[in-house]
Amino acid sequence: MELMKRFVLIVLLILSTCKGSPPVDENKPRQPAAQTIKIGVIAALTGSASAYGRSIVNGFELAAKEINSKGGITLELIIEDSAGRQEQALSAAQKLINSNMVAAILGPTLSTEMRVVGPLAVTNGVPILATSNTAAGITQIGRFVFRNSMPETIGTPLSIQMARDKYNIKKAAIIYGDDDVFTKSGFDTMKATAERLGITITTIEKFQKGQADYSAQLTKIKADAPDAILCSALFNEGAVILQQARKLGIDVPVIGGNGFNSPKIIELAGQAAEGLIVATPWFSGKPDKRVQDFVAAYKAAYGTEPDQFAAQAYDGLYLMDEAIRRSGTSEREKVRDALASIKDFDGVMGRFSFDADRDVVMAPLVIIVKDGRFQLFN
Amino acid sequence: MHLNPYHLQIASFALINIMLALGVYVTLSTGQLTLGSAGFMGIGAYTTAVLTVNCHVPVPVGIVAGGLLAGVAGVATGFPALRLRGVYLAVATLGLGEMLRVVFIRWEVLTGGAVGFTGIPQMGRETLDMLNTYGLNPQGIGLKDNEFTAFSVFLILLLIAILTVWAILRQSSSRVGRAFSAIECDESAAGAMGIDIHYYKVLAFGEGAFISGLAGALYAHTASYISPADFTYHRAVEVLAFAVLGGIETAWGAVIGAAVLTVLPETLRFISSYRYVVYGIILVAAMVYRPQGLIDRALLRRFTAK
Repeated sequence: MELMKRFVLIVLLILSTCKGSPPVDENKPRQPAAQTIKIGVIAALTGSASAYGRSIVNGFELAAKEINSKGGITLELIIEDSAGRQEQALSAAQKLINSNMVAAILGPTLSTEMRVVGPLAVTNGVPILATSNTAAGITQIGRFVFRNSMPETIGTPLSIQMARDKYNIKKAAIIYGDDDVFTKSGFDTMKATAERLGITITTIEKFQKGQADYSAQLTKIKADAPDAILCSALFNEGAVILQQARKLGIDVPVIGGNGFNSPKIIELAGQAAEGLIVATPWFSGKPDKRVQDFVAAYKAAYGTEPDQFAAQAYDGLYLMDEAIRRSGTSEREKVRDALASIKDFDGVMGRFSFDADRDVVMAPLVIIVKDGRFQLFN
Repeated sequence: MHLNPYHLQIASFALINIMLALGVYVTLSTGQLTLGSAGFMGIGAYTTAVLTVNCHVPVPVGIVAGGLLAGVAGVATGFPALRLRGVYLAVATLGLGEMLRVVFIRWEVLTGGAVGFTGIPQMGRETLDMLNTYGLNPQGIGLKDNEFTAFSVFLILLLIAILTVWAILRQSSSRVGRAFSAIECDESAAGAMGIDIHYYKVLAFGEGAFISGLAGALYAHTASYISPADFTYHRAVEVLAFAVLGGIETAWGAVIGAAVLTVLPETLRFISSYRYVVYGIILVAAMVYRPQGLIDRALLRRFTAK
């Protein structure tokens, strides 16, 4: 087995190169002598989630530029692509924690990636702040896991409740995509909320990613004559559902999950998007100086209006900056404690606090599509 | 002693991918082109997840059970697959993989549906806990906890991968391996020579599925979280690319192909969002200049000859 011997030799060689790197104590990343602090970012810059990843990185970079121009400390962002996949996110996290010795990590983009990266951050004692994960149970992974992105469980119930009060909704139909982690968990929230609010669910219909024809589901929904439709879908499928529903003559209000919270839905669905109600942590039309400054700076830098993901990322880095300033160090444990103690932080998304579980405490806004644009719903 | 968990992590995923590529290689060595590997990988992963989390079965038992169940599923698909050849078989197995993915989504009570299966015991952390109960501590050999967990995962995977490579190499120079290559070269001629074509083709399918299932189970205990999105046809095509880029003439092709294509995106990290463009270019270039794959028999002979 000459070949086998050679193979073992090669593996040993590879291993020996691993041992070659200099010993560093990772519990104490280098003290901020020059006040430069390394922050790792894991974002999906390639693959199907790259549209989100792009906005997120834009938000981080804009915030970093502003923070660094203020002086005091310099935040150095080390941005790694995860391609939206768990293995890649895990490798990226290992690299940031062990090779780059970052003080903290921002990201990853998807909740599924956090399920894999979160436990690693906890065992290594590295604070990790998710700015775009919306699934339930994310911060419960461990005491180093934080998030500033509003989970579905906060936003969606409020939009349903406000719509019920305004339109006197007694029975509703639900339609959702059952093969996507995001739309599925959105559905779970909708169903639980409807039951809690005493809204009768007339029918529950499912669809799959990339489906083009929803007439079977919508005809069934129409037959039951509900007062409203609750829909958990991503915006590309959501737009088609809206169009086909209106074409079938279903004119009841549609309350969308977080996937509908994108200007793209109005672009794609056009007239059919009128009356769509969604909850959002971020509203670019808010008459607040901070918000308008951010929108203007973002437009100047990237040419488009910031979406929810850019705003969450922007606030996320400011939260991290606040924690590092408060703790006066880049020691991971102390940054974690400082982050956990943040209360009533004023960001572009509004007043923000972490609860005891390091999850989000903030008031979401409910918006409605009127005259071809999102407006506050009340 | 200092080990970088980052390098060990990449090496671990490379080893899992090597196993997946070998699963495809075994089936291909009888001339059967399969795209069902992601589905078999999923069977292995979900089996061990359910067994270890819901039934509290020890992790090694779960892994073996995952491989075996995938193997049984492979034998079951091997029979109808006998009627199909070439691209028709590829399309049929593609359908099988998609069907399995939908089963993982719909069988919610067991799999957690699209949201995924969380809290699967991680091999490294399990090993560490076991050592701690015996009063042993990785500090004794100069390793920190996180280094130790990454290192133990790597060692376990390395051991299993070496065993798999060894078994396949042994088989390829045995009666079974000769029958496989005879069938690949010319099925009717092999049949005329008295080789039981049905038996060997189904055997190859079962073996391939077993190895894929084993790799899937190991993946579940490395990542500690799985979801149906991990077992789409993208994965199957990627695994096929490992085997084809490396070369399908010998098992070493699958090993080298998987190792190269796993390490490549990591070494390309410095170009950030363009890395998959370069990855694609390298893939195309490799296929143009070495259509038989990176490793072929001629190269292997030169390598082994002193």
